Amino acid sequence: MINFTINNQPVTAQKGETILQAARKAGFYIPTMCYIEKTTPCASCRLCVVETDKTEGLILSCQTPPTEGLNVTIDSERLQQERTNIMRMYDVNHPLECGVCDKSGACDLQNKTLEFGVSHQHFSAKEQPRAIQHWGAINYDPSLCILCEKCVHVCNEVIGDDAITLQFGGYKSSVVPKNSDTLDCTFCGECIAVCPVGALVSSEFQYRANAWELTQIPATCAHCSAGCSLMYEVKHASIAQGESQKIYRVTNNFEFSTLCGAGRFGFDFGVQASKDETLFAKAVGAFETASAIRFSSLITTEEALILQRLKEKLGIKLFNEEARAYQSFMAAYTEVSGKSSPSGTVEAIAQSDAIIVLGGRVSSDNPAIRYAMTTAARHNGAKIVYMHPLEDALLQNVVTQNVRYEAGSEEGVVAMLAKTLLENVDVDDVTKNFLENLDEGYLCAESNIGDEEFARMGKMVRRAKRKTLVIGSDVLGHSRAAHIARLCALMESMTDFSLVIVPQMVNTVGVALVCDLDEDTQSDHVVGYNAKGDFVVGSVGKCDMALPALNAQEGTFVSLNYHLLPTNVAVAFEGYCLNDIALALGVTARNTIDYTVQLPQEKGFKGIEFDALDNFYGALGEDNRGYILDVMMCEVAISFEAIADLPEFNGTVVYRCNPINQFNGYTAVSSGVEKDDALRGSMQFAMAARIGHGERVMIDGYDEAKVFVLDETLKGTIALLPRYDSPFGDMGAGYRFEKIQLKKVGS
Amino acid sequence: MHSEPLNDRNVSSNSTYYYVDIEEYPTQGWDKFKRVIKRTFKGELFVGLWVVLREMIKFDIHTVQYPKEKLPIGPRYRAVHKLLRLWESGYERCIGCGLCEKICISDCIRMDTKIDENSRKEVTEYSINLGRCIFCGYCAEVCPELAIVHGQRYENGSEQRAHFVIKDDMLTPLDLLTSGQQAEYPGFGSITPNESVKKTPLAY
Repeated sequence: MINFTINNQPVTAQKGETILQAARKAGFYIPTMCYIEKTTPCASCRLCVVETDKTEGLILSCQTPPTEGLNVTIDSERLQQERTNIMRMYDVNHPLECGVCDKSGACDLQNKTLEFGVSHQHFSAKEQPRAIQHWGAINYDPSLCILCEKCVHVCNEVIGDDAITLQFGGYKSSVVPKNSDTLDCTFCGECIAVCPVGALVSSEFQYRANAWELTQIPATCAHCSAGCSLMYEVKHASIAQGESQKIYRVTNNFEFSTLCGAGRFGFDFGVQASKDETLFAKAVGAFETASAIRFSSLITTEEALILQRLKEKLGIKLFNEEARAYQSFMAAYTEVSGKSSPSGTVEAIAQSDAIIVLGGRVSSDNPAIRYAMTTAARHNGAKIVYMHPLEDALLQNVVTQNVRYEAGSEEGVVAMLAKTLLENVDVDDVTKNFLENLDEGYLCAESNIGDEEFARMGKMVRRAKRKTLVIGSDVLGHSRAAHIARLCALMESMTDFSLVIVPQMVNTVGVALVCDLDEDTQSDHVVGYNAKGDFVVGSVGKCDMALPALNAQEGTFVSLNYHLLPTNVAVAFEGYCLNDIALALGVTARNTIDYTVQLPQEKGFKGIEFDALDNFYGALGEDNRGYILDVMMCEVAISFEAIADLPEFNGTVVYRCNPINQFNGYTAVSSGVEKDDALRGSMQFAMAARIGHGERVMIDGYDEAKVFVLDETLKGTIALLPRYDSPFGDMGAGYRFEKIQLKKVGS
Repeated sequence: MHSEPLNDRNVSSNSTYYYVDIEEYPTQGWDKFKRVIKRTFKGELFVGLWVVLREMIKFDIHTVQYPKEKLPIGPRYRAVHKLLRLWESGYERCIGCGLCEKICISDCIRMDTKIDENSRKEVTEYSINLGRCIFCGYCAEVCPELAIVHGQRYENGSEQRAHFVIKDDMLTPLDLLTSGQQAEYPGFGSITPNESVKKTPLAY
């Protein structure tokens, strides 16, 4: 705690806080142009200058921590003059195209120019020819750019693409793609979000709507289990289509949250239907005669509860293999840890200084975790161990230790990892026996990880203070998932590691908490909800009856943080919804959101009405979205089994993994997201499978043919097989590594 | 005349106000009868009749043959809107800033915009719902480019109350522009179309 004064008012700052942060917390206003909370200070605008009694000149409050007893002045005549002069410099030759600029009305430069009363141009410079750059989804206008460097900092420190940089050249300076002629990145669009002027804009959105015409609908991203906060911005579609609303873009509170490309550009996945009574009667009939409902986790928690009620009422089964895998994983986890949810969160990853990621390709499965890892690496100098059979080129700048194990050997790897982390920890006899009886030689040989790798990990862990273990979705579908879960729980409870488990879909956690799921027996008379069935309802793929998509529904999701997140209707859906079907079947609640309060409290839900849930970040970054589920405690029953023989995956092995920004049937139909549904493999894979670049292949057990693409960035014998383009999107069930039979087909 | 004497509303020698001579109102029946007779036969009637007769003989008729003929309208009259073009290049003046849409108090203006192949904002469609428009003139007032103005067409009779006005109806056709028939709004910053107007060099 540091005590100092601002304008003679006493203020306290935490250790590590800057004058600006302390001032904002205390409610003082210091103008900034380049400051962004989630990165290190850019310190390029110099608008945040303040005077102190201990320094001669002006100092930058964004990067200076206060000292005890310091007297800071933030609004003297001299500072006002300094700031006004800075704004005058910003306005030199800034094109007067506010009339057409997308940023007009929400522009920092516009606001600050008016704030400091810069009404005419005091200086001038010779105008340079500056061509507008077209970088795919992003357009860059250098003449509008004020070189605040926010985009560069975010791209480097939060996203980790490190794709843009500042080219210095005095008045000719501009933002340029790093080491490349054109922008080569994951197109998360975060640079667009942070741009204070209209220099970086989405090419899809540019010149289609003005900021003030758009209505912001606070919602939650429907694509992965991180449940990022976003705003759907809607306006009437066009003159020809009258009043019907359309989503024009997605924005986020970029100061405190980050969106990936799927969240930002994959928003137009809505379906539309009218109230067709004969079809509705047919759907109700299908539910009545059904033996089971098969559904994907692309639903709200309320809908999951409706399905559960339908199950109880009609005595049918519920199939969702992906959520069931997570459910049984968590059941085993609870046995050993004694609590219902893991301790880690995405935010905790960003705060960590040691991170171990195991069994998941996080950069494509869950970009929020990748961004948190990048933040940790850049800001805390975190050591990151990435354990996976496939190296990830996107993580190469943040990962300090790449550990490649053999596909299928996760159980052995986790057991060895547990032994490493628990080396000097006092454990009970059961655990001690188990760890001592591990056949290290066999496990190391079969998983192909050397002793020295574990030793290096152990050394790294001993130095760190805040540690996180991230368990990816590969292990959820593993045949020995339950035992792996026990080991993960052991590591969490016996060490100071916090644990993050990454399910695949947006509401896997919610479904797993709410529904009693049954083993999918492929029986007859199955109604599919966004899944295969004899009668299919939903919004993904080919459906017999359309139900609203997740951007046309209100309800909640439960993220991997065990955080209940509300989402709202961006585009009104004219047809029937699942609740209408449930009503016809005697499961009665007037609206879907009436179920929010009924969510099972014994699972940690709080019994709060939907309308009482907030969905925003406070001015200082306080997370006011929904609520965090209570952690339910239960008895601990520690027991371990012998490690099963590690399976071998030889020959042509594929890893079911979607490309960047693709997740499910929703992103597959979104026009703003790049579609790359090719089977990608290395030269080694091509030789093993005897196929060449550009050849079409059929894979046994899969319906569609795939084009094989030779990818130089991949190593090893495992190819990446996208599944988002399958009929109902990626259902995410089963173990993600698979030995396949390939057949070439004529092109 | 100076207004000060008028402000003094007391009738006096200084004030401009004075009492008008008003004939006594008749109270007796006989007096009333006398007034009727006097007014009826005084001959004022024939003065007016003579004017009509005189003009009829001279064939100097002032009746406007509407709708074949129309009276000229004051330049500030606010009738159905027009979208104008730049004199020098023929390009549309509208830049699609959306201010008219925003300021419209009856919310009857809509526009569709997009980015064109030259990375400029293009207005693809523009419509005004004349069934709702109250012709307040705010759109023309706010327009930074003098692109939307009120024209002279005041006849809004139609089979439907809410006929749309679409962009093609409002925009000056190019042939009228080249023949110099685009009526210019004589507002602030407007230009006088003559040979001194030259094409703006947009590419340099």
